[in-house]
Amino acid sequence: MKTFEEKWTAWLDDQLSERELAEFEASLRDKAAAQAEKAEAKKLGELLKRELKAHPLKNEEFFSHQLRETIVQESGEQPRERARRSPMSSWWTIPRLLWAGTASLAVFLICTVLVTHQERPTEESQYLTQILNARVDPVVSPNATVSIFEVKQDRVTVLWTEGLQSLPADYAAK
Amino acid sequence: MQTEATLAQSDVSELDLVKRCQTGDTEAFDELVTRYRTRVFGMIYNMVHSEQDAWDLAQESFLKAWKSIGRFRGQSSFYTWIYRIVMNVTIDWLRKKQIKGGGAEFDDAIQLKEIDPASKTVPKTEALPHQAMERDEIRARIEKAIAQLSPEHRAVILMKEIDEMQYHEIAEALGCSIGTVMSRLFYARKKLQSLLRDVYENV
Repeated sequence: MKTFEEKWTAWLDDQLSERELAEFEASLRDKAAAQAEKAEAKKLGELLKRELKAHPLKNEEFFSHQLRETIVQESGEQPRERARRSPMSSWWTIPRLLWAGTASLAVFLICTVLVTHQERPTEESQYLTQILNARVDPVVSPNATVSIFEVKQDRVTVLWTEGLQSLPADYAAK
Repeated sequence: MQTEATLAQSDVSELDLVKRCQTGDTEAFDELVTRYRTRVFGMIYNMVHSEQDAWDLAQESFLKAWKSIGRFRGQSSFYTWIYRIVMNVTIDWLRKKQIKGGGAEFDDAIQLKEIDPASKTVPKTEALPHQAMERDEIRARIEKAIAQLSPEHRAVILMKEIDEMQYHEIAEALGCSIGTVMSRLFYARKKLQSLLRDVYENV
């Protein structure tokens, strides 16, 4: 729904449709006065057009030149400004931080695996020492021999005994 | 205003120029500036009535246009888009000036002093001295009357009467509804009619 002001403006500018025009003109109380005002508005428009049209831009080329200079100056300054404002931020971006974090974690995991790998043979070695230090009772089995085979890579230790008369119930590698 | 055919032709090449600008081509932007600098300057001059201020504001408007040309999607014509920037810059400037000057912009006495009595709208060879003086006086009256309008009312009346823009183009340039444009035109015309009646009746 158009307001009176909108209808009046459209009427002055001849922008009303036939139906709108008929309706609007029928709603006017003093059509002659309205027509006179419309003619005045036209005169005003013509006056403005005639007197204000095309105020010349002097030194057009200098205008463009000055603008070009400003654009060049601004586009040259921007990257420098950015670099000056935050020299570190250009390197420590969030993706780079993520990569650095992931890489550190990976290095840590590799080190942990290697260290635990190296520790296990030591544990086996302690166990082996216990076996070697164990003794077979010479009274019960005077000819008994004990051989030990160990494959560290496969973490296998074989205890090979010969000449045992019997294996005491409480025997254990101590 | 341009005819539809020339408008279509210039729109095609204008769009090309805009695309080139968006890739950082300053020569293409220079071409766009050459096309619009006079219209832009003239529009701003009629809003602010000072050549130096109009020059500076036109420079600022084009600079803003260059910086934001990447955001131009071609949904409106380039001149409507640039007018929006021009109007934002100019209306902002006028508002600030009003605030700083405590409404001095609309002070009759100051306004008269600010108008350069030697300003010319036509080359000297075209008018006799008394005619030129008469036109200067008329122009001064018009500028004084326009200065009494709010920045928004100035913008609509100048875009409609001088640049012959359509309601929807003005609405787009000012970022308001067509109804608002029509309403502002109504009040701007009423005000100017009351201030300039003797001028347009006697010229």
